[in-house]
Amino acid sequence: MSSKKLGKLEFTEYEFFIIETTGSVAAGLIVSGIILAILGYNPLRGLSLLLFGGIRNPDYLLSRATFIMMTGLAFAIPMYAGLFNINGEGEMYIGGLTALLVAIYTGNGFLAILMGGFAGAVLGLIISVLRVYRGVNEVVTAIMLNMAIYYMIIYLITAKLYDPVAPHESLKVPASARFGLLKLGVFRIHIIFPLALIFIAFSYYILYFTKLGYEIRVSGLSPASAKYAGIDPNKAMINSMILGGFFAGVGGALNVIGFMYYMDSMLTSMHGMGFDGIGVALMGRNNPIGIVLASIFFSMLILGSQRMQLLMRVPKELADALSGVIIIAFSLPYAYRMLISYLRTRRMIKVGAEHHS
Amino acid sequence: MPEEKTAIEMSNITKIYPDGVVALRNVDLIVKKGEIHGLLGENGAGKTTLMRILYGEIKPSKGTIKIFGKKVRFRGPWDAIKEGIGMVYQHFSLIPPFTVLENLVLSLSSIAKVNVNEVKEKAKNIIESIGLNVPLNVRVEMLDVGVQQRVEILKVLMRDAKILILDEPTSVLTPTEVNEFLEMLRKLKKMGITIIFITHKLKEAKSITDSITILRKGRVVDVVETNKVNEIDLAKMMIGRETILKIPEKRSRPEAGSVILKVENLHVRDDKGLLAVKGVSFILREGEILGLAGVQGNGQRELVEAIIGYRPVEKGRVIFMGEDVTGRSPSEIYGKGLAYIPDSRAIGLVLDMDVISNSILTRLKNFLSKGGRIVWDKAQSFSSKIVKDFEVVIDSLKAPVKYLSGGNQQRLLVGREVIWKPKVIIAAEPTHGLDIAATEYIRSLLVELRDRGTAILLVSTDLDEIFQLSDRIAVIYEGEIMATGRPEEFTPEKLGLLMGGVKCQVKS
Amino acid sequence: MELNIIANLLIISLVPMVPLLLGSVGEIVAEKAGVVNIGIEGIFLLSALTSAVIDFFTGNLILAILTGIVTGTGLGILHGIISVYLRGDQIVAGVGVNMLAYGLCVISLVTIWETFGSSPPVKTVPKLKIFDLRVSPLVIVSIAIALVTWYFLFKTNTGLRLRACGEDPRAAETMGVNVMRTRFLATVYGAMLAGLGGAYLSIDWVGQFTREIAAGRGFIALANVAFSGWNPLIAIAGAFIFGFFEALSIYLSIRYGQFALVYLFKTIPYLGTIAVTIIFVGRAKTPAALGKPYIKE
Repeated sequence: MSSKKLGKLEFTEYEFFIIETTGSVAAGLIVSGIILAILGYNPLRGLSLLLFGGIRNPDYLLSRATFIMMTGLAFAIPMYAGLFNINGEGEMYIGGLTALLVAIYTGNGFLAILMGGFAGAVLGLIISVLRVYRGVNEVVTAIMLNMAIYYMIIYLITAKLYDPVAPHESLKVPASARFGLLKLGVFRIHIIFPLALIFIAFSYYILYFTKLGYEIRVSGLSPASAKYAGIDPNKAMINSMILGGFFAGVGGALNVIGFMYYMDSMLTSMHGMGFDGIGVALMGRNNPIGIVLASIFFSMLILGSQRMQLLMRVPKELADALSGVIIIAFSLPYAYRMLISYLRTRRMIKVGAEHHS
Repeated sequence: MPEEKTAIEMSNITKIYPDGVVALRNVDLIVKKGEIHGLLGENGAGKTTLMRILYGEIKPSKGTIKIFGKKVRFRGPWDAIKEGIGMVYQHFSLIPPFTVLENLVLSLSSIAKVNVNEVKEKAKNIIESIGLNVPLNVRVEMLDVGVQQRVEILKVLMRDAKILILDEPTSVLTPTEVNEFLEMLRKLKKMGITIIFITHKLKEAKSITDSITILRKGRVVDVVETNKVNEIDLAKMMIGRETILKIPEKRSRPEAGSVILKVENLHVRDDKGLLAVKGVSFILREGEILGLAGVQGNGQRELVEAIIGYRPVEKGRVIFMGEDVTGRSPSEIYGKGLAYIPDSRAIGLVLDMDVISNSILTRLKNFLSKGGRIVWDKAQSFSSKIVKDFEVVIDSLKAPVKYLSGGNQQRLLVGREVIWKPKVIIAAEPTHGLDIAATEYIRSLLVELRDRGTAILLVSTDLDEIFQLSDRIAVIYEGEIMATGRPEEFTPEKLGLLMGGVKCQVKS
Repeated sequence: MELNIIANLLIISLVPMVPLLLGSVGEIVAEKAGVVNIGIEGIFLLSALTSAVIDFFTGNLILAILTGIVTGTGLGILHGIISVYLRGDQIVAGVGVNMLAYGLCVISLVTIWETFGSSPPVKTVPKLKIFDLRVSPLVIVSIAIALVTWYFLFKTNTGLRLRACGEDPRAAETMGVNVMRTRFLATVYGAMLAGLGGAYLSIDWVGQFTREIAAGRGFIALANVAFSGWNPLIAIAGAFIFGFFEALSIYLSIRYGQFALVYLFKTIPYLGTIAVTIIFVGRAKTPAALGKPYIKE
């Protein structure tokens, strides 16, 4: 079934992808424009800042994208196995905290990142085991853990790990452990972005080139076929959550070790990225390359909204609203297909009626 | 106005599906008021289709229906219910966590405003007048299947049904429950209710019905009065002489070799926890095709799933090449040289994955490098080989399998397993849903493999296929092997009897 | 002395109980019909906002409460259309609603009151006096709603039909239930109650609207749904227990909270929820068709 002409209303998967993405983004932009207009701002100026304001600083743009790339993976990989991982936020926090502590105590940046990932993986393991063996809904556990970890970390930072000079910030990452900037001729970017790309490639490798990834994908697509082939879907689900948690933890670690070099007591540098990760994974269709592109897009929106806030005094949370609409639009994978097949059926009925009289 | 003696008159019913399949052709059905009328036939004869038309679920392509003399056209089950028709399916439509009473209230509440106490009263009346043993306050999911069925019947009676359609009602009952059930039917008949009884079981048809319509391949073979025929006559009509004539002449084949698979006294439970396989034993030799014949739902699936390790074995052993492999995992068993071609392509293949990914599904170990890495080059050339050797028509190796035609999917599935030259192949419904060309291809392939020494267990509801291919045939009924023998030893009558549950001597 | 503290704690627990109870009972109805709405958090937020806004500008409490209810209804209609008629993914839609609500709320804070954190105080619902403590009449209202809902679900024919939709929609349809319409209405009802709960948050309890006013309560309500075994009566007990966790954390913060420990205590409600969920889940049965879109063919 290859691609057919537009007139016949039949599309390939690839074309559907483009339709759905543009449709959802357009919906988000339209709603944002309406909100801006209602609130008395100039919608066109606002939207253009939103979309393009982020280009001014490519380094910041890409670095920002790094973190939601990782949380995007955290949602996407369990999705392959059929699980919802909304714990990207918590896994990220705990990855960051662990990385901070490891960096402070050992001065080794690589170790810090690995341990951060490991911490996130443990969290993923807990949630999936509870889901598989106790039937506990993973959405509820995830949100509860997110919030508990959030407050726990704030406590730790404010009470134990604060920097005496700047009490609202944690102790700083020692210089030996820091990941810094990469100089490529004229450009300077944080090294975390290329590093994240390596992790993305690694996740792609696991998913498509290893037994583990194969088993995860089969279990998600057809548990019956998995069992026929001797694969245990439960184990695959747990493995997928461990992997997802790992990457989210790494995301948090990269934030602390490679960008901020400390954690602030309100976790503002990481707040909300878990949920952005969900939007990124949806838009990127769980495909690693799609996730990279979607992260850059989301990052542009976030930076654009900051610029909008600066220049037009519109709160940057408009980007949150926009992301929300996009995510809602992505909850309707069948809407577009239903619409198109509905139109197609009506056309066929018309044609059929003409034939059969 | 004279009282109408005919409850149902279906005339000249034809049903042709959009894809061209003719399910029913010029079928007439006449059921007298107050009789128990049997509808007899094999799988695919058209019994269920005809009844779904009567119940308003499907519309006929041609033909008319009269209920109690009145011409009707049903737009949906609700119209049929209004005319007093009630249907009890094989798969019940009850809400499991609700009690019997709650299900009754639910079912009636859409017709009229009902009061729980009124419902209770009416239910109790019906229960008493028929002697229907149904506990009102127990949750449906806690009830035995036999009792659940009675709840379905009660549900239908509560809607003042005058005509009851029962689709294979005894398929879920134990022998004792069957007797109680038939007793209840007699009581219902005394109350003046007309009953249509769909079945493939000869003994029951003979014991309970007043007259029988026999269907075969969408046509009416005959309509008989039950007390004027015996089971042998019925079997003959159900199966038909042509089937047996299709056995090819004795083909030259090497004698079957040594025993390679032995199943001893296997007991297996189904998903509901009931015993589906009750002490099955058989042997399979190299170079032979053993055809397992039987109507769907008599334990074949559970038997096969137990052999390959997909389903736990309650009791008994599976011995493959002299080794006890009972309870081992499927991938282990496949690795040892036993291949399984499941009856559903949705299980045997992962439809959303591409051809290459599907070709390595059951033998993943063979495509891994030392570090656990999948060697896709090897997989790709392997899948190319399958595609070439088995003539699978594809657009691209990377396209999802769901876009292939059924025939090509089956070629891929069969090819994937066969290419490893397994010692034993279990093939379930290998030509189900395929066109003639694909069917012939698969069948000749199986014969060729047999000639090369492979042992094949062929599980199929298609008797033509069983007779065409098998060297030996075993008939399974309700989880037991009724008889085993060579194809020549099975006359149509005997086959019909065995498949219908009547033990008889095969060797003449 | 200790007894006094505990008694006080118990009465204080009634305060956080209200939104949890309302959210849970509403969601129980929706889930019993087969629809899961995790956007309750967003509904809490948005309703809290809208009712605070109306309260601020009109001072009319009745109007403000109604606004909250209407907001919830509106979001319920949105979720209902997406989940039931468009067969969308219910979890993803809920996540989207939460994000959208959060964004809208902050924007409104800025636009209306030019602040990023919290609104100015608004007039609150007058309280009743019980044992020296002032308790809101909504406590009684929410418990009453829970009781009425329980009766509706388990003692009426309509409730029976609703529950059938969540267990086996196909069977229900063959028995004459309009599954899609029932599911839609159940979703709207659930969101309506959540709207009331949100209004309570801002114009009854806290006395102002803050961006963190929801604080995960929507999710705790979800946990309570499972904990209660989808039974509104038990949900009362559950909401009370979870409310107790929160009261405990507030009390500890006041007694022992040198500035940082406050945060540690704040984790109590969430960890407590997890512990309770782990221990008590598996008892009750999830509606069998929960979360699966009903497709007619």
